[in-house]
Amino acid sequence: MRKFLTVLATLATLSLTNCGYNAIQTNDEQVKANWSEVVNQYQRRSDLVPNLVNSVKGFAQQEKDVLLGVTNARAKVGSIQATPEVLNDPAAFQKFQQAQGELSSALSRLLVVTENYPTLKSDALFRDLMSQLEGTENRITVARNRYIKSVQDYNVGIRTFPNNLTAMVFGYKEKPNFTVDNEKAISTAPKVDFNATPTPTPAPAK
Amino acid sequence: MSAARPLILALLLCWAQLVLTTSARADVAVPPLTGRVVDLTGTLSSSDIAAQSARLQDLQRRKGSQIAVLIVPTTEPETIEQFSIRAAETWKIGRKKIDDGALLVVAKNDRKLRIEVGYGLEGALTDVTARRIIDETIVPRFKSGDFSGGIAAGITRMIGVIDGEPLPVPAPEVSHESNDLLLSFLNPLNPFTLFFVFAVGAISRGLLGRLIGSVVTGGVMGALAWYALGSIGIAALAGAVVSAITFFADSLSAANQNYQRSHRGSGGWSSGSSSGWSGGGGWSSGGSSSSDSGFSGGGGSFGGGGASGSW
Repeated sequence: MRKFLTVLATLATLSLTNCGYNAIQTNDEQVKANWSEVVNQYQRRSDLVPNLVNSVKGFAQQEKDVLLGVTNARAKVGSIQATPEVLNDPAAFQKFQQAQGELSSALSRLLVVTENYPTLKSDALFRDLMSQLEGTENRITVARNRYIKSVQDYNVGIRTFPNNLTAMVFGYKEKPNFTVDNEKAISTAPKVDFNATPTPTPAPAK
Repeated sequence: MSAARPLILALLLCWAQLVLTTSARADVAVPPLTGRVVDLTGTLSSSDIAAQSARLQDLQRRKGSQIAVLIVPTTEPETIEQFSIRAAETWKIGRKKIDDGALLVVAKNDRKLRIEVGYGLEGALTDVTARRIIDETIVPRFKSGDFSGGIAAGITRMIGVIDGEPLPVPAPEVSHESNDLLLSFLNPLNPFTLFFVFAVGAISRGLLGRLIGSVVTGGVMGALAWYALGSIGIAALAGAVVSAITFFADSLSAANQNYQRSHRGSGGWSSGSSSGWSGGGGWSSGGSSSSDSGFSGGGGSFGGGGASGSW
């Protein structure tokens, strides 16, 4: 009887492992870590915005509306909490995405305006800020890609057969991913182009 | 019937995933890392490649950080940023945890280039620095068709920047990392190991009888130890200890409570084998003989830092 109980306890523990409990934990933490990296890079972009606005202001003071739009969009981004709990609340996730998308399109409007100021475009400080912004946009893309992949792993993990029972018992829900609608809002990334012949920039969204 | 539904769902998901992965876009494949300078276009002469490789190898010996150069004809349909992060993730240039790798990617027909910077170098080789290296040093030479000169000058500036950055000194020898997980599992102080040994022992003793069961358990642990440590002596010792514990665990517990049995059994294992473990400290010296001829990435990671340019 004692032997039987030992074997039973062993089997129960092993089957919990086999039913993906540990895998769910691992994937969950991976999603959180990748989300933090996404937020981290968005934060980096927000931190760049005041410097960028200041450097543009020196050369293009009359573009008040555009500059104000960027400042307001950044303030809105800053007011949204982006804790990992956002991941369990699709509505909050949507709100975060929308705010970041608005900042993206405000920045792209600003960059369209800067095309009209040759002295600004050749300013050393402005060019440094531009390359930082460009690098940050690329980091955001990389971070978002990694987040998307880790959410895919997590969601596939909790939806496939033996694991979905474990997920159901412990209450693990699917995580939101960057949807097509969000992609559209954000895909208007700031365009940085210093070529002599400026390519026609797409009309800013909204 | 209702029990069949989740099963069918699981099968469908597997199938969907298979389709997703096989129908992925036909991107340019990242070439194998054959050396520090990989040129798929035949732009650089073999003496150029040898000269740059020697400088980069020297950098790695001095500072530990790795730089690689990749020249491809085109990165279409991807942008150079997408391709270069993929190449960096595949090659894993730079030391693990220090992430001090950098990759110079040139897409010759696209007339684009990019410096991809690992996390650990982002403080020194910032986006601004990388952009200046590209704009001020490399692009003017590329414009006049001097590819080898542009790459050499770019590498010179990158090395200069890295030389000014205090980095952890390079380790004299690389210990093998592939067995890390197994090694931690074999650590006799790992509670999961204790549990695993005990559980396997109980099962095999129940199924096969005391003598054969204990021999089998010892054999399994011995084989695992042999695989991880590469030392037959220590493996045999570990196997013998496990066998003995499994063999006697039952008789030890016969007089005791069920609860106490697990304590006694695990205590015996950790004391019996910790000596064998400390003796196993020699594995690193007997381990992999580090070869300097073949170049491979050290496991560094990248986050999309760096700058792009075109000429």
